[in-house]
Amino acid sequence: MSAPANLPPKEELLNRAEEILKQLEGGPWPSHVSELRKTRYPLHVYGVGLVARKSPWGPAAVKVEFLNTGVLSRWARDWVPGGGSEVHFRVFHTPGKFLRTDFLRKITKISRELGVGLIELVGQTGALVLNLTPETAEAMVDALREIGTDVGGSGDAIRALNACVGPALCEFALYDTLKWYAEFYKDKRVNDNIVTPSYPYKFKVKFSGCPLDCARAQRGDIGFIGVWEGAPEVDQELLGKKIEAGEVDPEKLAANCPSGAITWDKEKKELRIDGTRCKKSMHCIRAAFPAIKPGKKRKVAVVVGGGSKGRFGPKLGWFIGYLEPDQVKDAIDLTFKVIGPWEAEAQPKYRLGDYIMHLGLDKFIEKAGIKLEGMPVSTAKMPDEVPYAVLPKEVRERFLSFAQQLKGRV
Amino acid sequence: MTAASMNPKAARLQKVFPVDLEKFLPERVLKNYGQWVDRKFHGNGIIEHISATGDRIFTVKVGMPPNARISAETLDKFADIADSLGIGAVRVTMAGNLEILTDSLDKALKIKEEVEKMGFPVGGWGRSLWGINSCTAYLTCTTAVVDSPSISKALGDALAPYFKEEALPAKLRIFVSGCPSMCAGGTAIDIAIVGQWGAPPKIREEVIGMCLPPPKALAKIPETQIFLVQVCPTGALTLRREGDKVKLTLIGEKCINCARCKENCDAFDYDPENVGVAILVGGKLSNTGSGPRLARVLVPWLPAIPPKYEEIVAVVKHVVEVWRQNAKPGERLADFIDRVGWSKFLEMVGLKEVHDYYQRVPEFARTFLAFRGRGDVYKRLRDAL
Repeated sequence: MSAPANLPPKEELLNRAEEILKQLEGGPWPSHVSELRKTRYPLHVYGVGLVARKSPWGPAAVKVEFLNTGVLSRWARDWVPGGGSEVHFRVFHTPGKFLRTDFLRKITKISRELGVGLIELVGQTGALVLNLTPETAEAMVDALREIGTDVGGSGDAIRALNACVGPALCEFALYDTLKWYAEFYKDKRVNDNIVTPSYPYKFKVKFSGCPLDCARAQRGDIGFIGVWEGAPEVDQELLGKKIEAGEVDPEKLAANCPSGAITWDKEKKELRIDGTRCKKSMHCIRAAFPAIKPGKKRKVAVVVGGGSKGRFGPKLGWFIGYLEPDQVKDAIDLTFKVIGPWEAEAQPKYRLGDYIMHLGLDKFIEKAGIKLEGMPVSTAKMPDEVPYAVLPKEVRERFLSFAQQLKGRV
Repeated sequence: MTAASMNPKAARLQKVFPVDLEKFLPERVLKNYGQWVDRKFHGNGIIEHISATGDRIFTVKVGMPPNARISAETLDKFADIADSLGIGAVRVTMAGNLEILTDSLDKALKIKEEVEKMGFPVGGWGRSLWGINSCTAYLTCTTAVVDSPSISKALGDALAPYFKEEALPAKLRIFVSGCPSMCAGGTAIDIAIVGQWGAPPKIREEVIGMCLPPPKALAKIPETQIFLVQVCPTGALTLRREGDKVKLTLIGEKCINCARCKENCDAFDYDPENVGVAILVGGKLSNTGSGPRLARVLVPWLPAIPPKYEEIVAVVKHVVEVWRQNAKPGERLADFIDRVGWSKFLEMVGLKEVHDYYQRVPEFARTFLAFRGRGDVYKRLRDAL
């Protein structure tokens, strides 16, 4: 980036940088500048950027042996007086992002001694970020590996996995998200594709335990969301107690169901939920838990193709079917089935979702050889409102045979 | 023998993943794994998790600085509190806040006191502001056009009461991204602020050569095989012949400011005078209410003037107020907009004009179909299940 026009001379620029930094301290919300002051991060560079209203960082590179992802390095643009450099590691987070104090103190020690004392508690993909300097990079990788984690998750590769806290702390978890998180990491294919970037673009895998989707799995390249079949389960007795205690208003509950699946029978004092209309909005469950719980038949819904960055803009994922909660190994195989055609054919900087858009979801499912329970029958992009088309003989014959089967029956 | 097999550092090719739940989960969590049956809220910031075994875990949610940036020094202090008043563990939430775990309400309230003394607010669950996610922007990023952490600080300062104790109709979450890459969680959220260039980029001739094949090759390779031509979704970047030279040219009218070129080559420059933020509202990822969807553009451009960003704060506060005063209890912003309708919502906010950039055909028709049509198949998970 070239220097913005009218940049003040060096001395004044640094003074104004310090002024603007001071204005970001104080106030009711905790200040990142106050924290940065306690570290060896080159704060003047950030300040100069704020004065210039342009990012003060340019791309740089740090070579760490056998570490091809997870290391990011910057140096200050030439219009920043005094220059500066910035290096950070993306570190794999613990399951559920729990940090026991013994482990936490090891991290802060590494940050203080080998880093610059600056930590980003969690990035948006789910990684823990530690800032450091080029000289300490080698030592820091070894130190992190020794305490049980590692560096990785950047570039055109599989990024750090992200799972919600699941059964570790949440009563709504419908499958063991942390077990899936662990099993995925243990798979050699996942390791190899985190280590070596060889994909058209990034690939993110996310695990959410229920339709509240705290891990943003709907927006992952592949996302696994816990759901259930049919209606939520109602414990009429417990519900009755909650109604008497004034905790639950059954008429309001029925009225607020987004799909109108709930009826409250005033006479029988019974709450009935129509499973065929239930859209898994979690409303009744949240309002009356544990008197209303998700249905007993748990499933894992698979969505593919979500993403923020991509050739064709941000998208939410497409639902392609269900897995069982104990099918984690099949989930890993499915992930690589999904990656296969995208890796082989997509242009650079095409996310999985862009590739699916290009190809059409039905052709993609065919190419990837995906067969799942509950796969949608129609994957058309828009309702087919046009009655005429050019159809190959085979297609006409298939529909003809459908009608002939019916003829035989009637 | 290959270099890899002789060098002990080649062991790094097998990552050490933190997968051992026994090692990383606190004892009390392991003991009650999969046995949680209920929860109670104590104010906005303390959750009492109740297990079938009779155990309880109380979590105290502490608001963290923007971009979840914390010094090792401060984090050690939180570790001390977690040891002396808690069960020796903390947890990081999806919005980058910190939960300190303990085993009694009494201790939870003491923890709240201690962290408030340190200058950190407690709150952020239930019907409140849950958090503000921010990308790193000017702290480490080469493509950011506005600085998200300082914007988040300004918003946090203005909305802090809604985190701490004041009630909102439902959960509110804000994502602040420094550029169209939307690294702060995307736009499927109540209010999203996205930095944007405001004008097509300028190519820095002295540097563009580094992102292209050498001039002789450039004259021979078909345009569609040039990487920078490929990444532009509308064909605004194209090769033109100038005399005996072949140059990469930007056709301004085709540019949609998506920043794909900037992400892939440092030669694309801009003037801060044009830069601003877009404000999007009414997105959601959770399957509740009317289901998940991306947010809609409410205001396509506002200036982003550090350090107080008064214009952005004013608009966000106003939108929150309109929602707060008119929504039903439990109604997320997305569901509120759905219920009253987009036009009525605009009326309530007082906007007489909406840009709806890609509705202008025919010049944007091709761009709309390619870039914005996005091949929607279902109304997301909600209607597919």
